[in-house]
Amino acid sequence: MNRLRGFTEIGLSTSMKVLIHRFSFLFFVLAAFGILLFSKADTLVVEKVSTTVVDVFSPLMSAVSEPAAAINNAVDKVHELANIREQNAVLRRENERLLVWKTKAERLSAQNKSLQTLLNFKPDAGLKSITARVIANSGGAFIRSVVVNTGKSKGVRKGQAAVAGAGLVGRVASSGYQSARVLLITDINSRVPVLVGQERDRAILRGDNTFMPHLRFLPANASVELGDNVVTSGHGGVFPPGLKIGKIIKDSEGGFRVMPTVIFERLEFLRLIDFLPKSPENHTPYDRSIETKANFQ
Amino acid sequence: MTTLLSNRLDMFARRCFPVLAGIFFVLISTVPYYIPGFGPVVPNVVLIAVFFWVIHHAEFVPTATVFFIGLLLDILSGAPPGINAATLVLVRTLLVMQSKVFRGKSFLLLWWGFSLVAFLVGLVIWALSAFYHMILLNPLPIIFQMLMTITIFPFFSWVFAKLHQKFLPID
Repeated sequence: MNRLRGFTEIGLSTSMKVLIHRFSFLFFVLAAFGILLFSKADTLVVEKVSTTVVDVFSPLMSAVSEPAAAINNAVDKVHELANIREQNAVLRRENERLLVWKTKAERLSAQNKSLQTLLNFKPDAGLKSITARVIANSGGAFIRSVVVNTGKSKGVRKGQAAVAGAGLVGRVASSGYQSARVLLITDINSRVPVLVGQERDRAILRGDNTFMPHLRFLPANASVELGDNVVTSGHGGVFPPGLKIGKIIKDSEGGFRVMPTVIFERLEFLRLIDFLPKSPENHTPYDRSIETKANFQ
Repeated sequence: MTTLLSNRLDMFARRCFPVLAGIFFVLISTVPYYIPGFGPVVPNVVLIAVFFWVIHHAEFVPTATVFFIGLLLDILSGAPPGINAATLVLVRTLLVMQSKVFRGKSFLLLWWGFSLVAFLVGLVIWALSAFYHMILLNPLPIIFQMLMTITIFPFFSWVFAKLHQKFLPID
């Protein structure tokens, strides 16, 4: 009798274990799908939780990224030393060229100043920037973003433009207390209003997870040429106008793409530009278009 | 009493090890490597860790642990939350069901098995990401990422085997 009870107990406990095992699998798979759907429906709550988690882990991410940054610096230094003579010659030539440009720029700047006085022109307020170190990469196949080690505590807020060297990198997608996530212009969710070439044709730069984002919504009569510069237009009030993005290239399907000035995998420090948008009455109807607003807010 | 306490602490530390190692590998996955073109194809080290530990010590990596490691990977990498969590839970369940196929078998069979799992994971991540973004995504980045993961599998499984011998009790 006791033996029989023993067997029944063993059988029961085993079937219970199987049940719990099956239930836990179902529970966690459903939980994961639930979170995924919820993140699509209510981005604010998920963003808040995510920024808190990134904030908590940011000191660890910073510590883990230090050795990689140190190795990168060492490799760069060796590379620079190896090419020092060649680089010196290139820089001398460039310096001569830039001196000519400097004279031209000084003359144009003085002329610009006097014309602005004549027109009673009010220039934009000077842009303040916050420097931040990249501590994490997205490391995913379908995401293009980085995490920086500065957050709300230093004045970083959602929407600020991120710049490296002379080129636009992206915008702050979310900001925690001591960390922030920057969505790169190559990400599939990125849309940037831009001006193209000398004619300053308006267009939207749309990321598609490749290294070279697409140029969309160009006017039919736009005179775009290969190698034309692409800069931010400032429409929508998210990015300051005139930030350099890259140069025009053509893809295999005949569409226009932009080769960014920035090498995204080499990002180490970013400047987050504190750009306060102008008052809404200054915006043109184009700026208030649903497409632009929906993608930047 | 002291021996009992130290034994319990020892067992607790061993049970915590896969979790802590999982968190460490999540952090490793997000390190910026500064290598042009490498960003989108960084190998999925967390997948290798989960594969290795579920095969050798599934009881130390319960479904809840795998779920939270996946969710942490989603959050820190900026991926839509839930994608890696769902994928890793699926991988754990699949491996527990097929544990007899892998346990105690040759390394080549393990590598072959991992390759199949990696491609399955790639497919699931691609499908869920496409569903999330409501757009047909180019599958090439995930194919390259999984090929990289399969390529580095021998090295990481050697590292995990060393860690396994050092920190986890032998069966």
